[in-house]
Formats: sequence, C-alpha cells, structure tokens
Amino acid sequence: MGKFYNWQIKREVPYPYEHRRPKRQFAVVMDLNKCIACQTCTVACKTTWTPGRGQEYQLWNNVETKPNGFYPLGWDVKLMELLGEDQRWEGDTYKGKTVLDGTDTETVIGWMPDDLDWTNPNIGEDEVNEPVEVGTVLEGLPHPIWMFYLPRICNHCTFPACVAACPRQAIYKREEDGIVLIDPERCEGYQECVKACPYKKSMFNYVARISQKCIGCFPRVEKDLQPQCVITCIGKIRLMGFISPPEKAKRENPIDFLVHIKKVALPLYPQTGLEPNVYYIPPINVPLKFLRQMFGPGADHAVKTYMAMREGKEPELQALLHLFGSTDRIVYSFAVGRNEVIGYDKEGKEIVRVPLYEPFQVRPHKDERIGVVRQDIP
Amino acid sequence: MRVLLGILLLLSVSFSLELVSKRVKGEIPLDPFAEVWKRAKAVTVPLAGQTVTKPMVVESPVKEITVKSLNNGREIAFLLIWRDKTEDRFHLINQFSDAVAVQIPYIPSTEVPITMGDKGKRVLILHWTAFRQENLENGYSDVAKIHPNYAYDWYPHAKPPYRYPEDWANQYALAYIGGEKVFRKNTFKTPVREVVAEGFGSSTWKDVQTAEGKGVYKDGRWYVVIKRRFVVENSSNPDWGPGKTTYVTFAVWDGSSGHRGARKVLSYQWVKLKIER
Repeated sequence: MGKFYNWQIKREVPYPYEHRRPKRQFAVVMDLNKCIACQTCTVACKTTWTPGRGQEYQLWNNVETKPNGFYPLGWDVKLMELLGEDQRWEGDTYKGKTVLDGTDTETVIGWMPDDLDWTNPNIGEDEVNEPVEVGTVLEGLPHPIWMFYLPRICNHCTFPACVAACPRQAIYKREEDGIVLIDPERCEGYQECVKACPYKKSMFNYVARISQKCIGCFPRVEKDLQPQCVITCIGKIRLMGFISPPEKAKRENPIDFLVHIKKVALPLYPQTGLEPNVYYIPPINVPLKFLRQMFGPGADHAVKTYMAMREGKEPELQALLHLFGSTDRIVYSFAVGRNEVIGYDKEGKEIVRVPLYEPFQVRPHKDERIGVVRQDIP
Repeated sequence: MRVLLGILLLLSVSFSLELVSKRVKGEIPLDPFAEVWKRAKAVTVPLAGQTVTKPMVVESPVKEITVKSLNNGREIAFLLIWRDKTEDRFHLINQFSDAVAVQIPYIPSTEVPITMGDKGKRVLILHWTAFRQENLENGYSDVAKIHPNYAYDWYPHAKPPYRYPEDWANQYALAYIGGEKVFRKNTFKTPVREVVAEGFGSSTWKDVQTAEGKGVYKDGRWYVVIKRRFVVENSSNPDWGPGKTTYVTFAVWDGSSGHRGARKVLSYQWVKLKIER
C-alpha cells in the first residue's frame, strides 16, 4: 500500500499493494505505420492459446481500426469518459485522474463490458474518421481523412489494475519478467479484473468460469524466445524485449533505445496510470491532437523523429527497425554496422545479422544473349 | 468513517440472536419444503452491504435472511430463506449467480472476526450457488446451452465442461488454461462448496468436498438447504457437534445486482448456534 513513481506520467500513483519493480520487464514495441491488419498475430495467438470452449470471442491479441474500431465495443471511449474532461498534462506531467485513484467503494475506476460488447471484434474495420467528400485529395502529412490499425495485447503493466482489483489475490506479476498472470486455481470468475483493466485485456471464460488473459507467451519468454504474435507478424512491426526504467536505460537495448533514448515509441493511454508496457510508434498520417490523447504529450516528438528517419536523418533508428521480425529469439542488445544491424542474446552472442540494403541488381529489358524481352517481373 | 459508524449502529441495534439446531431422527431431507423443517424455530437475521473492504456494496438489495437449523447427531442442516426479485441461475459474462453462505468459526468464539476470520482464526464457509445447481439440474451451462443457435466449428481438444486431452501438443495450455483443478471445481456433484478462510481474500477450496444442498426459487424467495456432517474424515472440521454451542453468520449474493465475491450482503454479527443433543 502506498504511492509509487510512474515515469510515463512523471508522478506517483496510488497502489493497494507494496510495489517493487520486477527484475526485468516484458515489453513490446509496435510500429503502427506498418500494421496492415492482416490479423496473422491474432490467428497465431488464437490457435496457440484460445481455441477452447468459452474462448470463442477471446482475442488476447486483437487488431482494431482506429478511430472507429473497438474490442470490446467502445473500450477507449468509455475510458475517456471515466477519466473525465480533466485529463491535463503540464509538460510531461499528468495532472488528471488515473484509474488507480479509485472511488470510495471501488479500488479501481472501471466499467464492465457486456456479453455482446465482445462479439464485434471487427466493428469499424477500415472506416476513416469522417465521411470523405468527393474530390478530396490527401496531400502532405498528417491526413485530414485518416485511420490506422491498432494491434493490442496485454500491456503487462508495471502497476496492473487487474492485480489491484482482484479481491482473491489470484493475479500476480512475475518477479523474473514482469509478466502478469491469473492463477486459474485461485480465480473464481468474479470478473473484477475484467472491470478494472482499462485496456479490457482480461476476459471471462464462462465455460471454464475463470478469467483469462494474454500470458505474454511466458513459456517462450522463459526460453528467451519472443511471443507468437511478435514472430508471426508478416509486416515485421513488432519487437519484444525487456525495458529498463528510464534512469537505467541502456542505449544498446533495442527497447530502451526506442522508448527512452529516441522516445519514438509511446505507451497507450498513459493517463490510466498503470505504466503499460506495450509501446507504439505512432502513425504519422494521423493528426497530432488524436495522437496526444492516445499516446500522451510525447506524440509530437515521436512523429517528428520518425519523419526525420524517413529522410535518412536517423540512421541508427532506421537500422534498428530492420531487426523487427528478423529473429524468433529475444534481442538483448544491438549494434549497427556499415550496412547491417546485428542482434545479440543475453550473453552477448550474435543471433542475427540483417543487411540494411539488399544488393541491387539491374537486368536489362532486352536480354541480348537469348534474344528475349523481359516483362516487369522479378 | 461513515462505513464504520454504520457497522457500529448495526451492532448496537441487533441484540444477540440465538438459533437452535433442532435435533431430529433419521436422514435430513434436502428438500426445503419437507415437513420436518416445520419443527425448527426460525430466526430472522438482518443483512447489510459489505462495506469493510473494497469493492463494496452500499445499497443492500436484501435486508434480511430467515434461518432454521436441524441436526440428527451426525449432520447439521440450515434452511435459508430470503427475498430476491430475480432468479439468477447463471454465471456468465457480466452476469452473476444468486448465492448464499453460512460461516462457522473453527473455534467457537465471537472473537473471530466476522470478516471471514483472520490469521489463526479460521472459519469454514459453506457456499451454495444457483449456477452450480443449474448445472446439476439442467446440464452444464456450456456454449450450446447458453447460445443454442451459436455456430461453431469442431473444437479440436476442449471437451465439455473444460478439459484438454492429456496428449494435447500445447502442454502449457493444458496446465495453464484448462487445468485439472479448474475442471474439478466445475464438476463437483453438489451445489455447495466448502471453503476455509483466514481473512478477506484468503478463501480456499477444501480438498474434501462433502457438503450438500438444494435451492428452490418460489414466489420471489429463495429457499436453500445446506447440509454437512459435523465431522468429515480426512478433513479439518470446526469444533461443533450435538450439545455444543458455536456461532454462525450469513451472506447473500444477489446476482442481478452484480454481486459476486466481495460484493455481497452479510450479517454483521455472530448468531449463537445452540446444537441440541
């Protein structure tokens, strides 16, 4: 019980249990500029963990369209309502209400989705923010007409609302990697975690009658392997690793580099106060007003840095993005060579080496040797 | 502070209640409308929302519970009757089941906190739930029963109510998602579970589950019988039996008010239970 420092909102948050940061903290970075909502991650997770009875509409990993898609229905709109209009930032410090502030009768400020709220995971898919007028031309960034895809898993928060709300202490955060798990033997299906989690990543299985959630593929993480959703991503938008608190950030740690050094990857709704540990590189086509609400005041800097990278002014960052989806093993550190980026394991042994530029070959339109004309195919 | 005052007020108005467990011969029927229950004297116990720990229930939808008790020297039974406008027999997504519980301290003393005991002050809780009874009476509340028109493919591995075959390739799913203990908890042949607790949040299923029960919803009231042997072998038992005096408290969950777990109404005082010899 006490107040603990949350670096994402630069202030303390109340927490009902004694809190110590885990030895390592599970974290994933997702580049939203690259997600195409192919749902390969969703299917990978589904077939691995949730093909059972009562799990039909459980998507521990889901991809929704923003601003009009939600799983469950309206989850972030409800969150914004609950936190109220007073979501003030003074510089980098959040001055508004967090869900951990609770009420006189509740540990956590939350809401409970209904049965049907979970049954439209693809609602609003591909819808843009507002109707497009005939003749609209999109020039420059950000776009006035926009949408983007938001892939979501459990944030394995530093201050999990589910842990705080469970009256049976059936949920715990692991010391070794910060992964948050529900103990299926202690869980009685009260769904307090479902109500408390602002990201709605705790779900009730009415057949097993226990709540279930993303387990961070802990059996893989224990073997230094990245989770299923990360390694199957065909757009290579994800990288899983371990994040340090900002004062211990290491430049060579890819997650630290993206979150703390370059500050290009941002937490989702940091105003919840939970210190969520999935970090998003915001989509540059989206107006900053929306991005600030969703990812906090760091959005401006993140978009600027990403734009600079596109112009070749952030070679190290650009190189690191090549490591995404390049290996199924957890990359503890990285280094950038002349034309390659190298990933290392826990012991500092090389696990992957990715070229930054593929060798470029030019084949003439007409092959004089055999006297044929090549079509425009590889 | 307001909460504390409320509790004190409740304690002061409710002078000590006494429930006598009438001694009868032969088997005690589980039917709440059995003739034999007419021989037991009823006691009405006031109930109030749980306001000691979060999450709380401030407005209590159930104001009182009427209790009777019988014993036959070997077993003790309670008949619990309370008003409830809705019959809630399912435990689904954001839908909760009606339930009732009797709490007995291991050591017969009012020193044991009514808040599910305390460290070293253990309590036994006999917890009847409507959804468990629904499963026993009308078949397990599986997908096909809850959503009869639901179209689904073949489930490769999850056998109802919920168990993966032992040779399932993902052994972690077997252990973590659909473990043996979860399966066991869902397949007991009784709607009453036996739980021990040493304070809020500590309640734990007993390994040996012997309590029986039956609930009937009639004319806006639940009539629930809960029965257990005084002494269950190979298990821990409270210090109770014929000729002894102990204490009991009661809790009621109203499913349609969203009650579950800590969200409940309870009697904020120990009721003296005299067990006839």
